[in-house]
Amino acid sequence: MSDDYPSLLRSERMSLVQLFVPTEVAHDTVHELGELGDVQFKDLNPSVNPFQRSFVGEIRRIDDMARRTRFFDAQIEKEKDVVPVRPLYECAPLLTVGPRSAQTVDELDTTLSQYESKLTTLNESYQTLSERTRELTEARHVLRETAVFFDKAHTQTTNIRSSFDDSATPLLTSHDDREGGYSSGSFDLEFVAGTIERSRVPTFERVLWRVLRGNLYMNHTDIAEPFIDPSTNAETRKNVFIIFAHGDVVLAKIRKVAESMGATIFPIDANADKRADALREVENRLEDLQTVLYNTGIGRRSELVKIGESLRVWQDVVKKEKLIYETLNLFNYDVRRKTLIAEAWVPTRDLTKIQLALRHATEESGTSVPPILHELQTSKTPPTFHRTNKFTEGFQAIMDSYGISAYQEINPGLFAITTFPFLFAVMFGDIGHGFIILIAAVYMILREKAMAKQDNGEIIGQFFYGRYIILMMGLFSIYTGFLYNDLFSKTLHLFHSGWTFPDNSTRGVYTGHTYPFGLDPAWHGATNALVFTNSYKMKMSIVLGVIHMTFALCLQVPNHFRFKRKSDIYTNFIPQMLFLQSIFGYLVLCILYKWSVDWTKSPVSPPSLLNMLITMFLEPGKVDPEKQLYPGQGFVQTVLLGIAGVCVPWLLISKPYLAWREMHKTTGAGYVTLGNGEETAIARHSTDETLEGEEEGNGRAIAEGDEEHEGHDFGDVVIHQIIHTIEFCLGCISHTASYLRLWALSLAHAQLSEVLWSMTLDGRTDPKSIGGWIGLGIMGFMWLNLTIGILCLMEGLSAFLHALRLHWVEGNSKHFEGGGYPFAPLSFAGEGSKEA
Amino acid sequence: MASLFPIFLVLAITLGLMSASFLFVRKGPNQAVIRTSLMLTFAVCYLTWMVTYLAQLHPLMVPTFSAPPAHTA
Repeated sequence: MSDDYPSLLRSERMSLVQLFVPTEVAHDTVHELGELGDVQFKDLNPSVNPFQRSFVGEIRRIDDMARRTRFFDAQIEKEKDVVPVRPLYECAPLLTVGPRSAQTVDELDTTLSQYESKLTTLNESYQTLSERTRELTEARHVLRETAVFFDKAHTQTTNIRSSFDDSATPLLTSHDDREGGYSSGSFDLEFVAGTIERSRVPTFERVLWRVLRGNLYMNHTDIAEPFIDPSTNAETRKNVFIIFAHGDVVLAKIRKVAESMGATIFPIDANADKRADALREVENRLEDLQTVLYNTGIGRRSELVKIGESLRVWQDVVKKEKLIYETLNLFNYDVRRKTLIAEAWVPTRDLTKIQLALRHATEESGTSVPPILHELQTSKTPPTFHRTNKFTEGFQAIMDSYGISAYQEINPGLFAITTFPFLFAVMFGDIGHGFIILIAAVYMILREKAMAKQDNGEIIGQFFYGRYIILMMGLFSIYTGFLYNDLFSKTLHLFHSGWTFPDNSTRGVYTGHTYPFGLDPAWHGATNALVFTNSYKMKMSIVLGVIHMTFALCLQVPNHFRFKRKSDIYTNFIPQMLFLQSIFGYLVLCILYKWSVDWTKSPVSPPSLLNMLITMFLEPGKVDPEKQLYPGQGFVQTVLLGIAGVCVPWLLISKPYLAWREMHKTTGAGYVTLGNGEETAIARHSTDETLEGEEEGNGRAIAEGDEEHEGHDFGDVVIHQIIHTIEFCLGCISHTASYLRLWALSLAHAQLSEVLWSMTLDGRTDPKSIGGWIGLGIMGFMWLNLTIGILCLMEGLSAFLHALRLHWVEGNSKHFEGGGYPFAPLSFAGEGSKEA
Repeated sequence: MASLFPIFLVLAITLGLMSASFLFVRKGPNQAVIRTSLMLTFAVCYLTWMVTYLAQLHPLMVPTFSAPPAHTA
């Protein structure tokens, strides 16, 4: 593969670069690099407290601005009528680079604080006005209800007068005198009027009764409308009460009790005219308040609309600035020379692009001093970077979920682009269902641009992210659907069948002509169809499984070459390959051979392969001539068994032996193994110790083979090899059996499809009456829904999961090393991730 | 008529297609992906077709029905 272009076969070659950035151009440089999204900065101040870093002040200011934008967002959310917020791509951009950038940010800061203070004052005044409105509404109710009381009492005066002679006792006599005026000063009844919460009324009455020993008369009515508290939006229901009593002490007690129970007391005049005046005044003030409230609301709304026009661009600027300053905090600040020193990982291929970006940043900022980029030699493990496009990123993501590849090892994601949809299709094979998921994928791909902009929600978002995976899955499923000859549980008769049924017999006769593509349609509906297809699919699963595992095993070899451990080919790869092939490769060959033999012309009846394999192990060398697959089988099988037997100790011992020999060579020559191999790394400009701690994945010293010897512990090698041997040998057997899931899921899928058909549309496809048509319609609708819901979605997800497992466990265990850390560049697109 | 010949013929065709995709995919940022995908696709499609064909070449059992099947071959 050429070196001019990046390849997904291995992760990209990365370089550690050092940037010397003059302070004036620092902000713009980071901005430019962030837009590029290709540089991962290292933290050069890991021991420094976040509060002690150089750019803490700027970050604090940006945080304030961020808080204000969040406040605006919340206020806009709270508005009942939707305030239009202009989306980012329609907003006028704010220039934050160049000579005027500092000014722009300052202006933004002042603008934001101005808006904030305006909004807060508006909110506060709105609050106070609402309070006043509420009080006045209560007062109005009180005035109205007390008017009712007094009128009522007025009409009842005569009754009461007649029952009691003592003018002192009846409380209601007073109203007559009250009509005349309050100024009489003689025996008149005073009252207290106000409002109280409805729930407190009975308690209130009881307390008053006890305190005043019954020397009161209380009346209360409900206020119909509830009062809404503007800040909490809670509703409270209140009642108007009026209490008639006599004597200052009593009245004082009533007032105290009322206040303690949270009632509001209003001064009400006994005189009806004065009450009417008061009522009128209250109404006028209420009207005024309503107008002011309305105007405040309008003013607030207009402010919010103005904010909404630019809110998104402000948030974008704030986010970017915060990222820039956080990144600047990672740099080493050389105060004397007024430069910042940065270290970063950069794909080697992109070095020129970075240089251009730096030059561009210098031009934009208007200074003449460009930042200097300088490559460093290092033994640290670089991050793993697979350059993906919109097609490959889905496949790479699902393989990365198992583990990030080690730096420059063979990337399983490249092959998964084909093998994953293929193994999915083997389990999902149905032309119709494949077509359905293909349409779904094509739809999402055609609407790519629109769907990428909107927020699709978690579930649809996941499906959208994997749209190209679904596309490939659909295409392969249609192909395997043709092979399984399954179209919504029906078969296609594309060619002449290989079976005839002469004289209306129930048993087929083989014509000698094999159906050229796929499963013969004659099997459809046969009572022993499953017996045949099971045998076929199980054997196919084993064949595909062994081939997949062999392929994955071979991927080891390029890794051994790249990481300069050619001996591993002889100690690991060859024994593993021989072991796998001598048992399971042999099984596959036997399967294919048995199929290719015309057993009707053979003197021997076809032997069972399963028994053959078992007796190969239990009784090596002994093959019953009645049950032999081919002459000389006994000898061949003994040889193969011998090879497999030799491979186990070969795999177990040879690598530790080589390591032991190396160790003796180095100790014999007078070298002493050092405790920590990292300290002998080549001297660099930046300090090693500080960087060591935060570096992830540096345990893989295999990447730079020269330093291996010092760090190696012989015991580690032995243990690792023991585990590896056991895992591989047992894994061979279990993984081969694991591939039978390819058969199991395709069987389940076919059966579900058939059952669905037979339970819904079977027999209804030729309606003979209106009822028949209605039945067809209903059942057809059900069939379609269940096809999509169960067969496509549920079975699809299931097959997806199992295909993925096959890749992760059976495939990756044969070659994958993992342990890398992903390349996480500073990028303003998306969430803008920071470095590890 | 059923023989192993089609298997070898289609194998030759598949190998031809695989070599063609290896040799003739133009250089570019996606060369590795296109090449690998095409070659693997041809290989796996051949494998599955071959297994299906081989399984039916010399069948060991015949399809039996409970009632004579209505369809024609």
